[in-house]
Amino acid sequence: MTSFLTVQERAVAINPTRSCAPIGAMLANYGIHGAITINHGSQGCATYPRHQMARHFREPVEVATSSLTEKTTVYGGKQNLLAALKHIWERFHPTMIMICSTCLSETIGDDIPAIIDEFLNTYPDVTIPILSVKTPSYIGNHTTGFDNFLKEIALNLPDRRKKKGETNGKLNIIPGWVNPGDIRELKRILREMGLRGLWITDYEETLDGGYYNPRPHFPRGGTTVEELRNSSKSLATIALQRHIGGEAAHIYEQRYNVPAHVLTMPIGLKNTDAFVDTLIAITDHAIPETLEVERARLLDALVDTHMYTSGLRVAFYGDLDLLEGLVGLIAEMGMTPAYILTAADNRAWGERMVELTEELGVESEIILKGDLHELHKRIKQRPVDLLMGHSKGKFIAEAENIPLVRVGFPVEDRFGYHRRSIVGYNGAIALVDEVTNAIFERRATTVVSNTLIETGVEGPTDIPITLRNGAAHHP
Amino acid sequence: MQFKCNQTLPERAIHIALKGPGGTCQRGDGTNCFIASNVATTPGDMTERGCTYAGCRGVVGGPVKDAIQLTHGPIGCAFFSWGYRPHLAESDFHIKYTFVSDMNETNIVFGGEKKLLQSIIEANAEFPDAKAVFIYNTCSTALIGDDGRDVAKQAEAIIGKPVVFFECEGFRGVSQSMGHHVGNETIFRQLVGSVEPEGDFSRSINIIGDYNIKNDIRTFEYLFEALGLRIIARFTGNVSVDDLKIMHKAALNIVHCQRSATYIADMMKEKYSTPYINVTLWGIKNMAQALRDTAAFFGLEARAEEVIASEVARIQPHIDAYRQCLQGKRVFIYQGGPRVWHWIELLRELGMETETAATTFGHTDDYEKIFKQIADGALVIDNPNVPEIEEILTRRRPDLFISGNKERYVAYKLGVPFVNGHTYDTGPYAGFVGMVNFARDIDKALHAPVWNVLHQHARPAPADRRTAHGFEEVPG
Ligand code: SF4
Ligand code: SF4
Repeated sequence: MTSFLTVQERAVAINPTRSCAPIGAMLANYGIHGAITINHGSQGCATYPRHQMARHFREPVEVATSSLTEKTTVYGGKQNLLAALKHIWERFHPTMIMICSTCLSETIGDDIPAIIDEFLNTYPDVTIPILSVKTPSYIGNHTTGFDNFLKEIALNLPDRRKKKGETNGKLNIIPGWVNPGDIRELKRILREMGLRGLWITDYEETLDGGYYNPRPHFPRGGTTVEELRNSSKSLATIALQRHIGGEAAHIYEQRYNVPAHVLTMPIGLKNTDAFVDTLIAITDHAIPETLEVERARLLDALVDTHMYTSGLRVAFYGDLDLLEGLVGLIAEMGMTPAYILTAADNRAWGERMVELTEELGVESEIILKGDLHELHKRIKQRPVDLLMGHSKGKFIAEAENIPLVRVGFPVEDRFGYHRRSIVGYNGAIALVDEVTNAIFERRATTVVSNTLIETGVEGPTDIPITLRNGAAHHP
Repeated sequence: MQFKCNQTLPERAIHIALKGPGGTCQRGDGTNCFIASNVATTPGDMTERGCTYAGCRGVVGGPVKDAIQLTHGPIGCAFFSWGYRPHLAESDFHIKYTFVSDMNETNIVFGGEKKLLQSIIEANAEFPDAKAVFIYNTCSTALIGDDGRDVAKQAEAIIGKPVVFFECEGFRGVSQSMGHHVGNETIFRQLVGSVEPEGDFSRSINIIGDYNIKNDIRTFEYLFEALGLRIIARFTGNVSVDDLKIMHKAALNIVHCQRSATYIADMMKEKYSTPYINVTLWGIKNMAQALRDTAAFFGLEARAEEVIASEVARIQPHIDAYRQCLQGKRVFIYQGGPRVWHWIELLRELGMETETAATTFGHTDDYEKIFKQIADGALVIDNPNVPEIEEILTRRRPDLFISGNKERYVAYKLGVPFVNGHTYDTGPYAGFVGMVNFARDIDKALHAPVWNVLHQHARPAPADRRTAHGFEEVPG
């Protein structure tokens, strides 16, 4: 079993898996009750992400832009940003304003913190926090924007005055780039354990809201600014994605003495165990009966489905933390993570994935700086049975007639994925079911009771069966 | 109407007007000056506008089916403009694939020209069947001064096919509209007339300004063909690079979207003396008029009447049935530009009246056309922002809101029936037969049982323990 790392070399990106930084900051800011985002740039950089988020969450998504134009590229965007701040403050009275930059405003070199200071000097009655986040997209990707904003929150919002031993009895949880459904599930796990979480941040309801008459001025839900101020008094911080929130967790530890626990995204049995064990270790609460039962049910689902899933070759793509969590479940299902592709250029992560997959006893090619066209070419050379990732993979799925199990962001061609959860024992069970059903459908089979009757050929691929002793058998 | 949300934003008053008696414009600032449009957005007003790049890449260039759609810039602009606009064609290469030179920090510091050149060469090597490479410039690559035109020229020599460079960096204009202009101008300069085909083109036309959203073209192309006309190019729905190269041969240009594509008709008129007519290809009266005007040019009047009569006979019973259900409904249309005035008449044919009209990027000529057609007392608003739209929906309570996908969920949260006029709920909506689809979608939206469920059973939001700050409800 040897996994290996490749780095895609092409200059041109063809069908990228990633988007750009501001959308990550915008998403995270949606998790703060009554907070508004100003995107400092030209209009497209705000309107495009709004549209993208609306297609995924099926909710109104509102983001302001400083509307930079040709003139401002010469003289700088200061006047526009000052005007935007004024209008947002006067019209909305938000609880907080987050300003994220763009490739344009960064290239112009606007000093956003200085502009904020100037605004606050002119409007002394404005007492809400105004944070600025650097989100030029030529550095990193959409996750970078999310992560940078979390760092800004950790640096700027928590109250530094804290008496020795003072605590709010809560746990800071940084879920990272997940879906509202995932946050809902994580909250439930904490509730089951009798714990209280302080979510950094919480877009469970703001981006999966209800219909109310009358409509609330700000979407219901979200962590309040007060709670974030109070987050320095929490018992510990748990970051559930290393690359989104991991560093923020360490800031909490260094600045406010709140111990940091940075975990793998809790997808699958072992990753969820690690999360639950961490909760137990921090708080001394025992694992409740409900979670024990769910855990056992996941094991049951794994064994019930293994005849359909074992040995299947899976290609999946997307963000580092999602991939790292997902590979755990894929291995537990006995599938082979044939290709693991990310757009990120993170060698350390790649090497860790090589080790991880080898430890898990699976053989993978891990592709860095990759795009979906590259993945498609690999799949044409050596097919897979299943794709996992966001909606943009549908073009490969259609061309090769391979099922695509949708996870990650964006899922814009199906309904309600933002409400689903793939974390925790329950999330894993749902994913196991979905993968298995996807396989049923692809095989064009009839399912009689629990017996799978193959009515056609195996599908377009001929899959070598990898024997447990490492040898390969070609049918 | 005084907007509550604009109490602190007096700048917006000149963009809001009522149509007074006799077609006068009563503007929000108390003057009778004409509504202001196509000017810079007030920063931070929560505009719905997009950028020049979006207008060029998304609208004009994007539908060209056999060109490599390459964005020169960082990744985001390319990701977001990829694969969601249903500008269909017989093939789907242009929808399935997006290409980007993927500028990183080093490129931004030291320039991206080399990487762009390499990107073009690689993209072409991966897809050798593509007929051209379209390159769209973005904000940061424009700002650092990459000479894309020069790179395009070099690349053209290397790959031996057209490399078209669009200077559509997002910040160039005040809205998408500038991007349409750049798209027209660039395609005209670089492609149109680059091939001189043999043959008789005396009975040929181009359809200018239709992007084949959800196959709109299928609803009217056969009508022009039934007149005995040959369509050379559609600008730019379901069009190939080769079609664009020879579109100057057409005897007549039929201009449908008069905001995004009159530019190329004007340029062809000047350079090739190609005449053009303005048409609306939505609604019964307008579609019939379009066929009549086209036929008149070619002396095919009798044939046109036959075509119109048989088509209208086909759909009229459906339209009559729908009109009974839709009679008297008041509509708020908010579209990019011309669709607002294209549809006022169509909605009347269905028994409905447009009570509020707004455009994202309309110019004075669009608003003139709106004022000419809309009923007295109607509200017209330029570049409306999110709070204004919400206020219109809650205070004027239109029966129906026709807008785009971003606004859909605002309408739903406020309980207002909605039809997607940008990319259509089902579609196509153009031509005679498309109008039946449009009517059906409107009827479905208005009369869906869900509204009764909502109105009878919705409750106020439960008290939120976290509503301590400035929380107030929008007055209903
Ligand atoms: S310019 Fe940068 S921030 Fe704006 S959309 Fe493009 S990649 Fe994203
Ligand atoms: S960077 Fe410029 S071109 Fe790209 S989306 Fe933003 S405004 Fe448009």
